[in-house]
Amino acid sequence: MMSFNIHADYDKKITKRDLIRVFWKSIPLEHAWNYERMDNVSFTYALLPVLQKLYPKKEDLSNAMKRHLEVYNITPYISTLPLGIAAAMEEANAEDPEFDTSSISNVKMALMGPLSGIGDAFFWGTLRIIATGIGCALALKGNILGPILFFLIFNIPHYIIRYVSTFLGYRLGSTAMSEIGQSGLMQKVMQAASIVGIMVVGAMTMDMVHVNFITKLGAGESAATVQSLLDGIFPGLATLAVFGITYWMLKKKFNPLLIMLISLAVGIAGAYFGILGA
Amino acid sequence: MLLKTILIFLITLLGYSEWLLGTSLIQRPIIMGTLVGLVMGNLPAGIIMGATMELAMVGAVSIGAYIPPDLVAGTILGVSLAIQSGADAAAALTLGIPIATVMLALNTAIGTPLSLIYVHKCDRDAENVNIRQFNIDMYICGYAEHVCGIIFVPLAFYFGSSTVARLLNIIPSFVQTGMEVASGLLPALGFAMLAQMVMNKKVAPFFFLGFFLVGYLKISTTGIAIFAIILVSIMLIYQNMSKENKAEKADSAGGSGFDEF
Repeated sequence: MMSFNIHADYDKKITKRDLIRVFWKSIPLEHAWNYERMDNVSFTYALLPVLQKLYPKKEDLSNAMKRHLEVYNITPYISTLPLGIAAAMEEANAEDPEFDTSSISNVKMALMGPLSGIGDAFFWGTLRIIATGIGCALALKGNILGPILFFLIFNIPHYIIRYVSTFLGYRLGSTAMSEIGQSGLMQKVMQAASIVGIMVVGAMTMDMVHVNFITKLGAGESAATVQSLLDGIFPGLATLAVFGITYWMLKKKFNPLLIMLISLAVGIAGAYFGILGA
Repeated sequence: MLLKTILIFLITLLGYSEWLLGTSLIQRPIIMGTLVGLVMGNLPAGIIMGATMELAMVGAVSIGAYIPPDLVAGTILGVSLAIQSGADAAAALTLGIPIATVMLALNTAIGTPLSLIYVHKCDRDAENVNIRQFNIDMYICGYAEHVCGIIFVPLAFYFGSSTVARLLNIIPSFVQTGMEVASGLLPALGFAMLAQMVMNKKVAPFFFLGFFLVGYLKISTTGIAIFAIILVSIMLIYQNMSKENKAEKADSAGGSGFDEF
C-alpha cells in the first residue's frame, strides 16, 4: 500500500517553504512556451528559488540554470511533480561533488512523456470535459452559473493536484524513484478516469452534436422528414454517423483545421441545397 | 465606445494572460464570452454565445502537435461584434471562427519569431547569472507571442463595428443558416479528438453507454458524470474482491508462502 505521507523530512537545505515558492512560481509555466524548447524558460524560472539557495557560487548557479534551459514539455497542471524531483536531485548534487549532473536531465526526460500522457488525458480529456458539459448545459440557457461552475470544476482539482505534486515530487526525488510505478495505484486511477471521461464524451456527443436532415419524403399531409425516419431506427443515428466520419478522418491523420473547414463547407452546402437545417 | 474599447482591451489582455495565470482556462470562449457580454451590457447573450463557441471549439486544445486557433481573438471579436449588431449566436460563430484561424497564422508568422528572441535572451541571462533580467525576459517572452492579438483585437473592435453590421446584412441567409448547421457539426470534431486520446478496446463500450443513456433516457451530462463515477467505483470494488478471492485460493491451494505485502 502506498503511504499517504507526502512530506519528506526536510533534513537538508531545502525547506517546505522553498517548495511552496516553487509551487507559486510554477503557475506561469506555459507563459514562455516556445516552439524551440517549449516550457524550458518557465521551468527554470519556477526552480530558481531552490537553485539560488543551493548554489551560492555564480558559476554553479549559471550551470544549473543552463541545465534546465534544455527542452522540456509537460502538462502544466502536474509540472510541480518533475519540479519537485528536480529540486531534490539538485539538492543531492549540491551536497555531493561526485554527483552525475546528467542524471538530472535524464530523469526529467524519462518522466516527460508518460507524465504528459497521463496529465493530458486526465486534465484535457476528463476533467475539462466534465466542466464543459456541466457549464455549457447551464450557459446555453444564459445562466451565469454556467461559466462559474466551468471555472471551479476545473480549477479546484487542478490547484489541489498542482500543490500536492510539489511535495510528492520532492519526496520521490529524494527517496525511491520507482515508487509511483510499483504501487500500480496510478494505473488504476488512470483507468477509472478514462472510463468516466469517455462516458461523458459519449453523452456530450449525443447531447451537443446536432444534425438535422430537413428533406421531406412523400407529399402533403403524410410527408415525413428524413430525420424522423432516421430517429425511428434508433435515436442519434445521424449524430453517431457524423461522429464516426469525423473520428475516421482524424484516424486517417486529416489535419483538425481541415476537418473544421470541411464541417463549415458541409454546413453551408447543406443549408444552400435545403438538405440540412438548424 | 472608447470606454468599451478600453474594457475590451483589458479582457484581451486577460485572455492572453491565460498561460501566466496557470493555464486556468480563462481564455476559453465560455469565460471570455461572458466577460464580453458583461462589457457590452448584454450578459445573457454573452454567456449563450460563449457557450455556443465553446462547444464548437471544444477540440481546440493543444494536444500533441496540434496548435489550436486563437480562441481569445475569435471569441472576443465574434461575441462583441455580434452583440453590437444585435445578431445571434450563429453570427458570433460566423465572425469568430475565421478571425481565430487568421489570428493563429499571424501569431505563427510574427509572434513566434519575436518570442524566440526573448528565449535566447534568457539563455544569455543564465550565462551572466542576471536573475532580474531573466525574470523580465521571461515575462516579455510570453506576451511577445501574442502581440498581434493584443494590438489587433481592440482596434478591430473600435473600427470594425459599423463595417461588420453592414457585412452581416450582405452575407446571404443560407450562409448564416449554414453556420448554424456547422455549429451543430463542429462539436463532433472536438469529441472525436478527445475520444481518440483515451479510446481503446477496454473503454470503447463506455462511450456507447454514455451516448445511448442520453439518446434514450435524456439524462443530463451532470447525471452521466455522476453515474459514471458510481459505475467506476463499483467496478473497482469488484476488482479488489476478485483479487482477494484469487489470493485466498492461491493460499489454500499452494501455500507458496510468499507474502506479497
